[in-house]
Amino acid sequence: MSLLKKINDLSDSGRSRRAWFGLVCMVFLVLIIIPSIFVVFKMFSDWSSVNDVIADGAMMDTIKGALANSFSIAFIVTIVDILVGIPMAWMLVRKQFRGKRYLDTLMDMPLAFPTAVLGISVVMFWGAPEGIDIPGLGLNISPYLMLVLLHFIFTYPYMVRSLSAILEQIEPNYETAAMTLSASRFTAVRTITLPLFRAGLVTGFILCFARSLSETGGTYIALKMMGVQSSFFTGPTFINDAKSLFGADAAMGPMILISVLMILLALALLIVARFMMVRLKIPVSRVWPQIGRKLSRGTVPKVKDVLSIAFLVLIVLIPSFYIFAFLTQPMADVDYGALLHSIGVSFLVAGAAVVFDIVFGIPMALYIARNRRTFLGKVLDEAVNVPLIIPTTALGFSLALFWGMFYGGGSAAVFTAMVILGHISFTYPLVVRNIIGAVEEVDASYEEVAMTLGAKPFQAFSKVLVPIIKSSIIAGAILSFTRSLGETGATTSISGSVKTVPVYIMDLVNRNSYAEAAMCSIILIVICFVLIFAVRMMMNRGERSA
Amino acid sequence: MKIHLDNVSMKFGDFYAAKDVNISIPKGEYLTILGPSGCGKTTLIKMISGILRPTEGRILVDGEDVTDIPLEDRDTGYVFQNIALFPNMTVADNVGYSPRVRDMAKDETEATSEDYLKLVKMLDRAGTLPHELSGGEQQKVAIARALASGSKLLMLDEPLSALDARVRVELRYDIRRLVKKLGVTVLHVTHDQEEAMSVSDRIILMRAGRIVEIGTPLDIYRNPGSIFAAYFIGETNLLECTVSGKTKTGKTVVRLRGGQMVRAAKSCLSEGDAAVISVRPENVYVARDGLKAEVTEVVFMGTYWRVRTVAETNDYLEYNISSSDETPKIGEKVHLVFNKKATMVFPRPEKGLEEAIELE
Amino acid sequence: MPEITLDGLVKAYGGTRAADGLSLTVRNGEYLCILGPTGSGKTTCLRMICGLAVPDEGKVLFDGRDVTREPVSRRKAAMLSQVYSLFPSKTVYENVMFSPQTQEWPEDDAKQIVKSMIKMVHMEGKAHSYPRELSGGQQQRTALARALASDSDVLLLDEPLRALDARLRLELRKELRSMVKEMGLTSIHVTHDQDEALEMADRIAVIRKGRIVQVGTPMDVFKNPLTPFVANFVGRSNIFVGKMGRSFESHSEVMISSKECQFTVRARRTDIQEGSDVVVAVKIGSTKLEKVQPDAVEEKEGYVSGRVERVLYEGATITVEIETPAGLVSAKLPNRKFEDHVADDVVSIWWLPEAASVFRVPPEGLEDELRLD
Repeated sequence: MSLLKKINDLSDSGRSRRAWFGLVCMVFLVLIIIPSIFVVFKMFSDWSSVNDVIADGAMMDTIKGALANSFSIAFIVTIVDILVGIPMAWMLVRKQFRGKRYLDTLMDMPLAFPTAVLGISVVMFWGAPEGIDIPGLGLNISPYLMLVLLHFIFTYPYMVRSLSAILEQIEPNYETAAMTLSASRFTAVRTITLPLFRAGLVTGFILCFARSLSETGGTYIALKMMGVQSSFFTGPTFINDAKSLFGADAAMGPMILISVLMILLALALLIVARFMMVRLKIPVSRVWPQIGRKLSRGTVPKVKDVLSIAFLVLIVLIPSFYIFAFLTQPMADVDYGALLHSIGVSFLVAGAAVVFDIVFGIPMALYIARNRRTFLGKVLDEAVNVPLIIPTTALGFSLALFWGMFYGGGSAAVFTAMVILGHISFTYPLVVRNIIGAVEEVDASYEEVAMTLGAKPFQAFSKVLVPIIKSSIIAGAILSFTRSLGETGATTSISGSVKTVPVYIMDLVNRNSYAEAAMCSIILIVICFVLIFAVRMMMNRGERSA
Repeated sequence: MKIHLDNVSMKFGDFYAAKDVNISIPKGEYLTILGPSGCGKTTLIKMISGILRPTEGRILVDGEDVTDIPLEDRDTGYVFQNIALFPNMTVADNVGYSPRVRDMAKDETEATSEDYLKLVKMLDRAGTLPHELSGGEQQKVAIARALASGSKLLMLDEPLSALDARVRVELRYDIRRLVKKLGVTVLHVTHDQEEAMSVSDRIILMRAGRIVEIGTPLDIYRNPGSIFAAYFIGETNLLECTVSGKTKTGKTVVRLRGGQMVRAAKSCLSEGDAAVISVRPENVYVARDGLKAEVTEVVFMGTYWRVRTVAETNDYLEYNISSSDETPKIGEKVHLVFNKKATMVFPRPEKGLEEAIELE
Repeated sequence: MPEITLDGLVKAYGGTRAADGLSLTVRNGEYLCILGPTGSGKTTCLRMICGLAVPDEGKVLFDGRDVTREPVSRRKAAMLSQVYSLFPSKTVYENVMFSPQTQEWPEDDAKQIVKSMIKMVHMEGKAHSYPRELSGGQQQRTALARALASDSDVLLLDEPLRALDARLRLELRKELRSMVKEMGLTSIHVTHDQDEALEMADRIAVIRKGRIVQVGTPMDVFKNPLTPFVANFVGRSNIFVGKMGRSFESHSEVMISSKECQFTVRARRTDIQEGSDVVVAVKIGSTKLEKVQPDAVEEKEGYVSGRVERVLYEGATITVEIETPAGLVSAKLPNRKFEDHVADDVVSIWWLPEAASVFRVPPEGLEDELRLD
């Protein structure tokens, strides 16, 4: 109680508020930003090993191929996501229909699936992998196309979410106004809403692109199940597998090089995307009233709606849930001890990361949301995106190099701590972004009025703002918890010895124990759903009683 | 453009936002739909413009049933409360939007845009973006945009609510002058009775989804059909009383709560009926003799003083005196008489006076 | 209750100066309205008084004590915001209880004060409702109770009636003022609505471009404006531009010239030199009309005559718009005159000399001076 009072009193002084904020910035810089891009500095200090790689033609071809695969897959996936995501976001925001709530929930389900699980499920559904008795569609799909299909699943929800967030902020009256001025709905949307949409498109683009670029576990598993894991690479699977392919020492050079390349390309992309946002012009000067009218009425809009739901069901939902087909098989033997241990590790890592994110993320989000116009506000706003866009495998590798400087050998505890730090890096932006969004919705006058009524700044924050944005904080926490739970690449590239669930599942797949891997996956998914459901229930009950 | 609404209703779930509305609007009329928040006034013009489809009834424009014609083919100009200028287009492009989406030639579009901007005296700001304009200027552009569609029917959905009071006053006179010059039929929605009075040919007063009264400003102000209308349109003193008889000329005589007798206008109530009289402050005068009242407050209102008193009947009574006249002191006793022709008599509402004049 | 002094406040946001040498004294226990158009800096002024904004220059004094840098929570200046900002997750009771609780008053005292405040604003029946269940007027009253329960010495009202319906606003003006006056707080009420300011204020401070242009009682500001802006902002005025003519003991003369004609009007006495360019402002409510019979040989009484364009019945008053050679002139008359005027009549326009104020033509030009937003 007295501690709280002390905090309240301290918060009244501008100096202590600035000191606390300075600490938050330092933590962000030292624990998150610097380790994430440390590998870039490492490359220059360790130039010789990189130089060797550059001289090695065959190795360079492999690296180039892996990068080309990663970036082109991410690009294709993102573009298709935009095309099918816009109508879906539209439906969720602007239309009222029965079952909308269920559609809304279904949308988020793939986010609760660890990608490693999705890898198994997708290959089972589309192809006919060896060693699995459950019949899939049995299509003979190239590894490239299979990865595209896989990456849709976990990028699509991000796209729809960020598009609908922006759409919700666009005044619906603009469209109505355009229609009272005789524009058909299609023309109204094309000339008025879409140009206002740019910001949302870019955010969605960055999120999906980065997510696809980062993905390791599911991708590796899919390739392994198709038997091409040592001939077909993406950037992250290359880093993941390099040590076992070339040996620890020989792998160092290629790993540094490919990490740096991925980080730099990704950052360049971030900058280009920002630039595009300002420049991108959607052509609006020509209008075709007749065509616009045809596209706005009758069958065309219906077909569009049916197609976007079909995409969700056929490409996203059914392939994700296909793993449950294993339940029709006789129960596989599961090593419960090992599974429970890995679940424990996963929960420890994810839990610790979430707690850190909330403690240090809220002040950061508050500052950015309330100081959008200042220079520091703008810089931080961009800086928070950096760990988001960097492929997690490269990030993990970079982080391991950074902390490895201080803890050479390292005990299991040290490795676990490093994994936690790694997971903080890529979940932190998710929490901060979510809370920024929530805080910006809340009128600053709530806190201001509270202070004029005699509340200290910390009281205004804890008693007034927090209750209002509570649900967004929890949503952000769930998002980053599930994201952490599903992450493979960052974990394996930091340490092979920290067995989180996805890593454990990957090991099982490597041992060709598909049935056991599937059972572990199902158990994990069920735990995840129960957890999310419980948190949501608690929130609802809290709101009702409040 | 002549408009006719035939038993139009709009139901949201179990709730009627508008119920059994019948109106005819002649060509070129400036009609205001007035009422407190949530009375269904916006729903009404949204149905007429086609933004909402009524759940019951028909809407006829020039005798033709347009109930099922989609919004973009209705040809009605609509001005929104929050203005809703397209933020990504200049003022000129906003005004030229309607000609453009109808595929008019470029120079024709530009000429139309220019014409209408000139009409609202905003031509010198043609190249600016909406957010660079003040609220009043934005709303002028929005009106030009609505008119540039060539529509002969203009819907104004609380067009002035978002603006400063002083700008509001200036703009309402401008709007009326403009639309009368163009001969456009206007439906103007507002909750501001002062605004409604000063722009309208006729006013429709709505409450809880239904039309309470239709009439010219003069009619409604002088001869309101209900206590609510008397109270909502202009300020008035309401006093509970009982009818005690009629004079030879047919005027009603009522007994106030304290037993004082007051003469009022004609009414169809008979002796013994519970009643309420309504008398506006400008029809209450100070006299040698009359209802005794004690002055509680004297407020300067610009062109006049408003005197607030408590009468011996325990009713609050307010009256006006000219700003050049001498003001009474607080606590002073005055005698008040009413202009009997302007003292309306209404049957006393069953659920009480409070409920009859509730504003929200 | 403190006397508040603002001394030369300057505050810039980016390139714009929201306060530009703002000085003002608010007397102990007074109800002061700061009246000005959107963007004139009224809200910034309020924020500097309660500490939500710190001025770049100048001082804020409470009873002579410099509080310019004192934290918000210690100033005892409660704000009533225009969106009310009732805490959405708290009931009416809990909202009003907010301040006593955060300041850790003894529980019994707190409860008693909160109850009496809720009673004063007639919200007893809704004490356990959430803000979203209340109508606009009820929210406004709850916000007032919450501010009054905070034991503040100063009440800051930021356009407290803006979000309400026009008719309700009229009712709440009386109610709000009397409740605040009852508590005896020093109150500063910011508004853009001159009718509201006239009706509610003890004194009005007209603000424009970050400066106070005029301070005075409602009657003073209405009748003796210091600038053409004040003349036209606090009550509509007819404005004429002309050259100063002769001055007499009781009045002065101004020559108005337009393209088509030239005429002389009377105005109140001034010291402005003969021949200077001046502006004459007459409140439309003081503008008088005399009907000119069609067969009359010559107009006599008025300064200028014109054709009635339209007559608007506005309730207690009517507005007559007249087309004259000097532009559109409006007159606001009592409603009993409605039958006297019809469109296309010719009327002659005049006013009492003391009803017309004379100003030098402002340096930035008249158009800029008269801009309302």
